[in-house]
Amino acid sequence: MSMQSPNSKSEKIQSALMAVLSGFWYEFKQNRGALYGLIFVTILAFVAIFADLVAPFSPIEQYRDFLKLPPIWVEGGNWDFILGTDALGRDQLSRIIHGSRYSFYIGFIVIFFCLTIGIFLGLVAAFNKGYVDTFIMRLMDIILAFPSLLMALALVAILGPSLENAMIAIAVVYIPHFVRLTRAQALSELGKDYVSSSKTMGASSARLMFINVLPNCMAPLIVQATMSFSSAILDAAALGFLGMGAQPPTPEWGTMLADSRQYITSDPWLMGIPGLFILVTVLSINLIGDGLRDALDPKMKSNK
Amino acid sequence: MLRFILQRLAVLIPTFFGITLAAFIFIHLIPGDPIEVMAGERGVSPEKHAELMHAFGLDQPLWKQYLDYIWQLLHGDLGKSFVTKQPVIEEFFKLFPATVELALSALIFAIIIGIPAGIIAAVKRGSVFDHSLMTLSLTGFSMPLFWWALLLIVFFSGNLGWTPVSGRISVLYYFDSVTGFMLIDSWLSGQPGAFKSAASHLILPTIALGTIPLATFARQTRSAMLETMGEDFIKTARAKGLSPFRVTVVHAFRNALIPIITVIGLSVGVLLGGAILTETIFSWPGIGKWMVDSIFRRDYAVVQGGLILIATMVIAVNLTVDVLYGLIDPRIRKKGH
Repeated sequence: MSMQSPNSKSEKIQSALMAVLSGFWYEFKQNRGALYGLIFVTILAFVAIFADLVAPFSPIEQYRDFLKLPPIWVEGGNWDFILGTDALGRDQLSRIIHGSRYSFYIGFIVIFFCLTIGIFLGLVAAFNKGYVDTFIMRLMDIILAFPSLLMALALVAILGPSLENAMIAIAVVYIPHFVRLTRAQALSELGKDYVSSSKTMGASSARLMFINVLPNCMAPLIVQATMSFSSAILDAAALGFLGMGAQPPTPEWGTMLADSRQYITSDPWLMGIPGLFILVTVLSINLIGDGLRDALDPKMKSNK
Repeated sequence: MLRFILQRLAVLIPTFFGITLAAFIFIHLIPGDPIEVMAGERGVSPEKHAELMHAFGLDQPLWKQYLDYIWQLLHGDLGKSFVTKQPVIEEFFKLFPATVELALSALIFAIIIGIPAGIIAAVKRGSVFDHSLMTLSLTGFSMPLFWWALLLIVFFSGNLGWTPVSGRISVLYYFDSVTGFMLIDSWLSGQPGAFKSAASHLILPTIALGTIPLATFARQTRSAMLETMGEDFIKTARAKGLSPFRVTVVHAFRNALIPIITVIGLSVGVLLGGAILTETIFSWPGIGKWMVDSIFRRDYAVVQGGLILIATMVIAVNLTVDVLYGLIDPRIRKKGH
């Protein structure tokens, strides 16, 4: 073993990390769609964080003199309310801005549960072939047998309609995908030499699982997490639309859409705008997912 | 081959019982008991309550209730709806054809557009068509289904007035159900205009429900085709002087089928899930709308039975896909299980 001062060792690790990151960034920006997606999501994240400063009005304040005002590009628009107002006279732009917070909130919470529980169960299944593995995987099969939106609806019906319960329900429905993916990745890693040598050196199974094997399973999990982030936003909006998600007056985009349903022919922009924001946000995150896949896993490259 | 099918079936039996157990536990997790839910605001006297609990077998220990439920289930009895008092299984099969009709037409719509589009994109890789198709399909994949359905209604029914907004057929027509498929029944009825009315009611829900599968099929077909088209046997086929059409369709497409069939099989769950939103928005009287209505009406017997029937259908479809794999690719069924 060479005698290195701890300082130069950490410097080496740092420069290696920088090399990996810059290689990753180089690959990622090859995909122009992914770059556009990242730009949009970054702006939206900024808006979400500083919603109180960016939004011109409060999202729940009702301006009774300005009901169902159209956006400025439609005749009769008013520059005070750029995207118009809803049926209760609330400023659409402010509601959209505050609504972006909920989208990120939903995405992050769902992904957090999926990653922690999914990875844990997947690794346990991979490391304990036999009854434990069979039990976990059959359990996941059972969850997967129910169409996800139906399962989420039924769960929310039990737990009671609210945004938090909708997120729990969505996480439960997505976890099996993470368990399956982690297990498959871990199984393919388990046969490799570095795992057997670590075992020979007396590594505990917790160390083997989380320190040795897990980092090598992360690439596809990150891609899956990105894609689930966008699906979670869609499903939460669908639950909100059915009245089983966020409750009024929460400015969640799906709930806003549901509120505007009765005006679809008279004032179509009321439902047009929140829907468009859901679409563009989900599309951007999916584009980022595509880019991540290309950059993280050259084998899975979408044949560009 | 039979052995292969039986093996697959054996794995499904515990899953099936797991599904029934999950649906059963679901209903018992709901706070309050079903009798109170049924009685609603009016409330119910303690004597009546005890009587009803006994009548529904709810005073039995849980494990006994579950075993009784399974026993009835295996005899084709899923209990009665709390609201309509009709057997759940009868209601299911009355509404099921409407969902199948919608799901099948959405699936056909997605296949006949998605797969050829994916093949063309793969053959003309890097072309404008390829790029626009991939952008469009990612957009379709990211589309909030309920919003898309509403946009279709606003545009085609509202602005253009081409199609009706809801239901399966105009109220002007009445005939007895023969097959349960409105398109076929209206054709058989021979009433002028009935078929046209049924078809025009079907168009928008089909497009709404079929869009996401269409996007998935196009992407999957393209990437599967690109993968096989790089293989040696394609070069050989080209070198033999076969026509490009034959090389693409017969040689490459056939070998790209496995991943394509996988996504088609997986889309059945997506279609059933999507049917919940599509049927609710278009007032399409199928099982998706039935489930949503029952969840809102707290008709737990229906929710429980419906969950079991739908999940069973999903695993049956998955089994069919597995068997199809075996048929297409002998390596899979011979891989000594």
